[in-house]
Amino acid sequence: MMKVSCSQEDLSRGLAVVGRAVATRAVLPITSNILIAAEGSQLKLAATNLEIAITCWIGATIEEEGTITLPAKLVTDFVNSLPSGRIDMAMPSQSQPVELTCARYEAHISGLDAADFPPIPKIDEGVTIRVKPDELREAINQVAFAAASEESRPVLTGVHADFDGDQLTLAAADGFRLAVRKLSLDNVVDEKIAVIIPARALAELNRLITDQEEPVELTINPKKSQVIFKLRNIEMVSQLIQGTFPNYDQLIPQSYTTRAVVNLADFLRATRSASIFARDGSGIVRLQIMPKDGNGKIAISARAEEVGDNLGEVDAAVEGDESKVAFNSKYLVDVLAVLAGDEVVLETTTSSSPGVLRPVGKDNYVHVVMPMFVQW
Amino acid sequence: MFFYKGLRMPRILHIDLDAFFVSVEQVVNPDLRDKPVVVGGDPGGRGVVACASYEARVYGLRAGMSLAVAQRLCPHAIFLRGNFYRYRDASAGLRDILAEFTPDIEPLGLEEAFLDLTGFEPLYGPVRKTALQIKRRIREELGLTASIGIANSKVVSKVASDLCKPDGLVEVLSGEEPLFLAPLPVAKLPCVGSKTESALRRIGITTIGELARLPLSFLKQSFGVHGEIMHRYASGIDGRRLAPPAPPKSISRETTFGEDTSDRVFLNATLHYLGERVGATLRSQEKQAKCVTLKLRYADFESITRSRTLKEATDTDRTIYEVGQYLLEKALERRAALVRLIGVGVSNLTEGRQLKMFDPGTERLERLNGAIDRIRGRYGFTAIEVGSTLPLRGMFSIEDGRYRLETPSLSR
Repeated sequence: MMKVSCSQEDLSRGLAVVGRAVATRAVLPITSNILIAAEGSQLKLAATNLEIAITCWIGATIEEEGTITLPAKLVTDFVNSLPSGRIDMAMPSQSQPVELTCARYEAHISGLDAADFPPIPKIDEGVTIRVKPDELREAINQVAFAAASEESRPVLTGVHADFDGDQLTLAAADGFRLAVRKLSLDNVVDEKIAVIIPARALAELNRLITDQEEPVELTINPKKSQVIFKLRNIEMVSQLIQGTFPNYDQLIPQSYTTRAVVNLADFLRATRSASIFARDGSGIVRLQIMPKDGNGKIAISARAEEVGDNLGEVDAAVEGDESKVAFNSKYLVDVLAVLAGDEVVLETTTSSSPGVLRPVGKDNYVHVVMPMFVQW
Repeated sequence: MFFYKGLRMPRILHIDLDAFFVSVEQVVNPDLRDKPVVVGGDPGGRGVVACASYEARVYGLRAGMSLAVAQRLCPHAIFLRGNFYRYRDASAGLRDILAEFTPDIEPLGLEEAFLDLTGFEPLYGPVRKTALQIKRRIREELGLTASIGIANSKVVSKVASDLCKPDGLVEVLSGEEPLFLAPLPVAKLPCVGSKTESALRRIGITTIGELARLPLSFLKQSFGVHGEIMHRYASGIDGRRLAPPAPPKSISRETTFGEDTSDRVFLNATLHYLGERVGATLRSQEKQAKCVTLKLRYADFESITRSRTLKEATDTDRTIYEVGQYLLEKALERRAALVRLIGVGVSNLTEGRQLKMFDPGTERLERLNGAIDRIRGRYGFTAIEVGSTLPLRGMFSIEDGRYRLETPSLSR
């Protein structure tokens, strides 16, 4: 039994939010459905692919409480097609289809019993942390892309989150690059705690933090197997990755022989332009960093065999020796595109040692990229 | 402009070393001079004539003929297996000499090349004189003879050099190309193969002159695009520029067994050996490969190739061998039968190597590969070996520090 009404806009937005957690290739068929529960004064929507679960509450008028699961794609596409206005949902009995009416539209959708829907984990105890939404968003943006996309080393598909005092350090590495971002917490954790959160879950979280102003609350369960993120009207639960994350501190070079300060936008433009020519030859862009009293430069070049080559230059304040180093253009573009501020520092040593990028004037971010070994 | 007109007349030189493999053998062993000599292998074996001396050609021996037939035609011929490394060295000698005359060279195989000497004459005198100098240097420094054709295009210079073999020199003056080609049989044109030749003969065309007089529309209709090329070449028109040597797109090694085999240990050992040879070449070119290909030919001549694309480009022997072995397993699962030929190759070559953060193993492997390459460079391939190629020891002889496979490729 269920009888409820809500606005088409709210339902459409809610379905879009939980839709990201619907299983695409479902082992368990019911996970391609969305759970719809009319309880209290709200309509609860939930979906899970067993790795993450997203729950969302929307305002509704509930005449009769009830729960059902409906095929995600069908119900979402139908609701999106409706005019804005009031939607009525009614389920006369558990075995009958749900009737959806809106203006002069009416549909009947057969569901599956909510009792068979995988339980969405509840996390009531554990370590709770609060973070400013804007800072978290930026931090995830600057770190998550550096995680590995393939599963050969599962820990590397995650982002290492280290909570210490009032500070959170996020780190990701895929074996070719490392991104580390520090951010401050709104509260203090009593005890140091470190977990590995799937990078995919954080990417989803970033899509969910949109118009949030109040802090994002996150709780790690005592077994350190799950984490819940609480936003306004939305909760996301994610499994945590078990294993040992590499000790990344030792991967960050402690010294350099060449240090160049460059305008971020110029550097990104020159790298993007070189990457067009680097598409053929394994994405190689060559950087030649040339010091000159006060007005040095970085020459960024790429060539495609039998096709052509290009060279771009950007002004740089260079300290130290002239140096040559080649990178995969994708790795360079990835990091330059997420850095904040106007200027970036590039530190290099030899052409086979890692390059380090940092924003100028902030010591909260460091990015390490392994170079490509090429013939000069 | 009028005064410089002559400067821009194309002058293309085609050079071809005479009876190359045999001539190199005769330099190494002068006793072989003036005798019917065949390079290709043991007449009891399954190979073909790779090269026959002019004395042997008198008996009708030709490249590509089976060795058994060759022996029947010329029973007293001396049959040699040949040695690629000697040919490669002679070829390098040729290239060094040519490079002293012009950088504009298009090598064709080991023993042939086109040289572009356009605009040469005002500076260095007649091209003919230069050609004679080249021939002299080759004779004095390599002990070999060469035939040279000079003309305004690649196709005419090649026809010319072919016409004056051995040890000849023909220059076709500018404007006289059609006259020069006209009386020659159509088969002398590089674009006319045996099928085209017989098709032309059926319509009564036997000379290049007759071919050139056929209407273009008729040739296009009968032979398509190829007809158009024939029409141009027969008229002595060929605007192709020299193609400088391009980097290879793939590297492969293969061998035909003396006897068909299904012995896995032996197949794996051969595969490993060939894979190491591929890897060494790859590393010497400072390239990485993203694709490994296995080639198998069964005893009934069914030939298959199987490829696998790697996640990351590699230049290590072990990876090439492991992927090759995986493909071999798969192939033999599909069809386990006697194998006649096995080969392994790499393609999708890339430059540069992405260095890794957590992978000291790769670096170790690289140093190991480098050390093995250096040892083999100095003391020969068999100076250091992996266990799995050891079975080859009992089966093949070692020559110059390398295994003598049954039918080694003579041109690489």
